[in-house]
Amino acid sequence: MEDFLYFFTFQDPSITWVVLGITLLGIGSAYVGTFSFLDKKALLGDAISHAVLPGICLGFVLAGEKDPRYIVTGAFLSGALATFLSSWLKQNTKLSEDSIIASILSVFFGIGIVALTAIQKSGNPEVAGLNSFIFGNAIGIAEADLFLYGGLSLAILLVLSLFLKEFRLMVFDPGFGKAIGFPMKGIRFVFNVLLILAVVIGIQAIGVVLMAALLITPGAAARFWTDRLQPLLLLAAFFSILSGILGTYISFVLPQMPTGPWVVVFLSLIALLSFIFSPKSGVIRRFLARRSYLNKTHRDHLMKALFKAKEANREVLSLEEIHALYPFHKKEIAHSLQVLTKQGLVLQDSQGVRLSPQGTSDAMRIVRLHRLWEVYLNESMNIAPDHVHESAEQMEHLLTPELEALLEQRLNYPTLDPHQETIPRESHDA
Amino acid sequence: MITQVPQPVLEVHDLTVSYDQHPVLWNVDLSLPAGQLIGILGPNGAGKSTLIKSIMGLIPPTSGYIKIFDKPLQEVRTRISYVPQRESVDWNFPASVLDVVVMGTYGKLGLFRRPGKKEVQVAQDALEQVGMTAFANRQISELSGGQQQRVFIARALAQQADLYLMDEPFAGVDMATETAIFQLLQDMARAGKTVLVVHHDIHSAMNFFEWVIMLNLHLVASGPKDQVMTEELLRKTYGGKLNLLTQVTDLIRKQDFNPLKS
Repeated sequence: MEDFLYFFTFQDPSITWVVLGITLLGIGSAYVGTFSFLDKKALLGDAISHAVLPGICLGFVLAGEKDPRYIVTGAFLSGALATFLSSWLKQNTKLSEDSIIASILSVFFGIGIVALTAIQKSGNPEVAGLNSFIFGNAIGIAEADLFLYGGLSLAILLVLSLFLKEFRLMVFDPGFGKAIGFPMKGIRFVFNVLLILAVVIGIQAIGVVLMAALLITPGAAARFWTDRLQPLLLLAAFFSILSGILGTYISFVLPQMPTGPWVVVFLSLIALLSFIFSPKSGVIRRFLARRSYLNKTHRDHLMKALFKAKEANREVLSLEEIHALYPFHKKEIAHSLQVLTKQGLVLQDSQGVRLSPQGTSDAMRIVRLHRLWEVYLNESMNIAPDHVHESAEQMEHLLTPELEALLEQRLNYPTLDPHQETIPRESHDA
Repeated sequence: MITQVPQPVLEVHDLTVSYDQHPVLWNVDLSLPAGQLIGILGPNGAGKSTLIKSIMGLIPPTSGYIKIFDKPLQEVRTRISYVPQRESVDWNFPASVLDVVVMGTYGKLGLFRRPGKKEVQVAQDALEQVGMTAFANRQISELSGGQQQRVFIARALAQQADLYLMDEPFAGVDMATETAIFQLLQDMARAGKTVLVVHHDIHSAMNFFEWVIMLNLHLVASGPKDQVMTEELLRKTYGGKLNLLTQVTDLIRKQDFNPLKS
């Protein structure tokens, strides 16, 4: 608790700097990554982030110490080489995109690990913190480094807001962009530079192995909540900042903990929660929608049974008779009857259950839809009368009043269904 | 039966187009008059879309050239409007109908300038012309195929061009929508715009187009509808791939280089 207060009240200026840095980094990578996610190029970000490792080692060797300028430049060049190679290979070989990306990722990362091991064996005393580039260590960032990483993040945001319209076009319809004379290749080039920069700014805080998660996961999680680009970008940035700060806090409290994996843990948690609770496509939402639909079909079936009894001149059905119609469904029947009574569609008394006037009209409509659909299948789609019932059982719950009107009109208000049963209509309609 | 016109809106001169080393259009040479509704007909794989895409500069020609309003494409881009095939984009992209139609104004806006009130107004007007005003704020993934097509046409209208190139704008569109769109296109032609439409249905082509281009890897016909929609020319267009031309194509594919490249 003391740690928590100490961290989040920002008494320590170095913590303020780190949080500010992680915030800028989070916004930058979430914005670029969201475009990359929408463009279905998520794997390219992963390949680039692994591919910057040889560049980091090269920068270290050239500077002889952990000079962020050398390391950032090395990382950028090595990431750029990987990006260039992947598009060159795609154009000049018949390899598929996923094999190209897989090979680049593993080849570059392999070389990087070999170089890193060699450097560590060299006995250079400066080598100590180099390992943190693998999994990241936000707390270990020096104030001077922060200016470099933060400045780059700001540059990314600036270019991105300048190119917002162009990037939107690049992802949605590059062919149209080319047709109206926009230099789409140039725009793609600028975007790739931003993507590499977004990886580079994260190597110290998040590490090369997990940087791709910070690019892609915020956008993917935010996509569950919105269908518009601007809210999507803002929400992705928010998710990214939130998990960035939480991850940093963990590595502050537990000094041996690398930041990257913890950021990814929090990001994944957000993504999982989005997947479950999203109001339009979440698991819970779909479960509830399905259950409410099943309940409705069950109520429809009960009303149909009552209506058919009425057709056979029996106004009232006893509970036993209803249970006999749907054996093994006692609980559902009780629930459905309760709801129907509350809605005023059925009336219950000591004799049993009957339809109210409104209930009769509703039930008649369900039966009418069922029989109309049977006529439609039989007459317009040439399906034999003994094959039409199953489909009508499903469509009777779905058809809208508009489609009902269209069916009536097309079929010219038929009186009998293919099984020679009357298609019921309100008397004032006839 | 190829009718050339003086002072054409569009001149295609001896155009040959190949994908990699696979020729898909041979020596197309035609010129088109202004202010007409023009149909491009032909069987699957006849090179209809390829012709439109090369006019738009999306595919480089292997040989030959194209002039629009008597100028090269780069100088007149803002006067040309393009409707790509509906399937060419991902309709799950997070955007509203209005967002997509506003893209039609990007060309005149140029790079880096954000669309403002004026651009939104242009887009709203375009949506009204295709009868989609009520859908302006709808997410594009919720649209039916016919509605998506109308959004694309609205985007083309928002380009406020003089020449319109449309790639299969009636694919997956119901009859009522097809007729409504055709009437809109006819109005545009009457207002002096030239509208070039890739189309596959000969029956509705008979009713709506004034000028017809028939393709089957090469140019079969280009001229006023009454003169080119003859049984003989239709048979030439739709009577299957030409055996000899297909064999030559295969021969070219087997070479180590493209011998057609000028």
